[in-house]
Amino acid sequence: MKRVLLLIGSVLSFGLLVALIPYSSSQLQSSIASAPQPLAVDPVVLRGLQSQYKSLKKQLAQFAPHQHYILVDTARNHLYIKRSQEIVLDALASTGSGVVLDKPGEGSTQWVFDTPRGEFTVQSKLTHPAWVKPDWAFIEEGLMVPKNPADRVEQGVLGDYALGFGKGYFIHGTLYTRLLGKNVTHGCIRLNDDDLKSVYQLARVGTPIMIF
Amino acid sequence: MHLVQMLFMPLSIILSVVLLFPVPGWAAEGEVFPDLDINDPVALQEGSRVLEEELKLAARAQTYLLIDLVSGVIQIKARGVDLHRLPVAAWTVTELPRLTGTFRLTARPPVIRRKIDPSATTEQEPISLSDMPTEYRLSFTPAMTMDVESADSQGTMGWIHATSRKAWKQLRAWKQRLAGVQSPGEASTISLTLSSEQAQSLAWSTVDGMPVVIRRPSEP
Repeated sequence: MKRVLLLIGSVLSFGLLVALIPYSSSQLQSSIASAPQPLAVDPVVLRGLQSQYKSLKKQLAQFAPHQHYILVDTARNHLYIKRSQEIVLDALASTGSGVVLDKPGEGSTQWVFDTPRGEFTVQSKLTHPAWVKPDWAFIEEGLMVPKNPADRVEQGVLGDYALGFGKGYFIHGTLYTRLLGKNVTHGCIRLNDDDLKSVYQLARVGTPIMIF
Repeated sequence: MHLVQMLFMPLSIILSVVLLFPVPGWAAEGEVFPDLDINDPVALQEGSRVLEEELKLAARAQTYLLIDLVSGVIQIKARGVDLHRLPVAAWTVTELPRLTGTFRLTARPPVIRRKIDPSATTEQEPISLSDMPTEYRLSFTPAMTMDVESADSQGTMGWIHATSRKAWKQLRAWKQRLAGVQSPGEASTISLTLSSEQAQSLAWSTVDGMPVVIRRPSEP
């Protein structure tokens, strides 16, 4: 009985695959038929096409970073330092939590705690950075935003180094190392002390940071 | 064993084998399109066309997507560098000749973001990859839609449902083509089947306005 059912299943499955695959192919074939016709394989033309392709490849390679660059995978919370295709450092990180916080008195506007995606560069390198707490740091804790700027400064929470990459975002250290590997930050990228030191030593102002 | 499971077990095995061989996460070094036959003029033309598009995108500080239908992989790129790869298990496409140029993402699936309540004592749960959808539509300008569906998280009934839906869509497209009702301005559609995690990764990594280039196959 089992064998009969498996046989029927196989026949049905094969039939289904045959019914679906030729359709996909015919759809593709019809599209290609209306696409520009391929060139005749004339050796001179072929060499010209090969030369054009190689030239374009070379031009594209010119855009790739020639020194170290920082790559951040926000989905898996990893920061890599790469040089060409070589991974120089693979560090567990914490990136943006993606949660939102209402801005008081500003209608429906909100802070969105995402790590920004795209390409950035290291804009500043700091040692023993102090955290100048933004408004949201007080509001999310239900506290009043202080009027005196000095009341915003907090020492020792960002680790020994910080690398700024614009709009208040930094790669910095953390006291909460147990949360590395999770999306918990307000958009900054947190690392443990050793990895942070390596990043600080390898990166320069201008080093590309690619975040996806 | 359940009768339905028995009937569809052979196909499940075939699909599992296909999905067991993903492309590695990191790009191969050197060659942009390692599978390009340099003696095939059509493949060379297509490769050069894609590279010309990439040159424009790589000149700016941004990430972009290259959907390589030849290799069956989606690449997240910046400055011509392959940052991450998402293997594609299966794809279908309509209006292939129109898939040239650069498309820009105009609509993506909404993300349900949790809100911090300052008066609450507990912290709000962050968004993670598992919050991302596994089936969704991305819309682009010029007009193009990309339907992403997951291949491996649905069980037998889910698979039957997804396959039926796909077959129905293909049947409709076929019928339209036979009836000659496709207008010249009709949008191209790409349907991509990815593993659940890869579908969620793609949803996670896309940003509004993100440019997309498509490498088309030169042979069926």
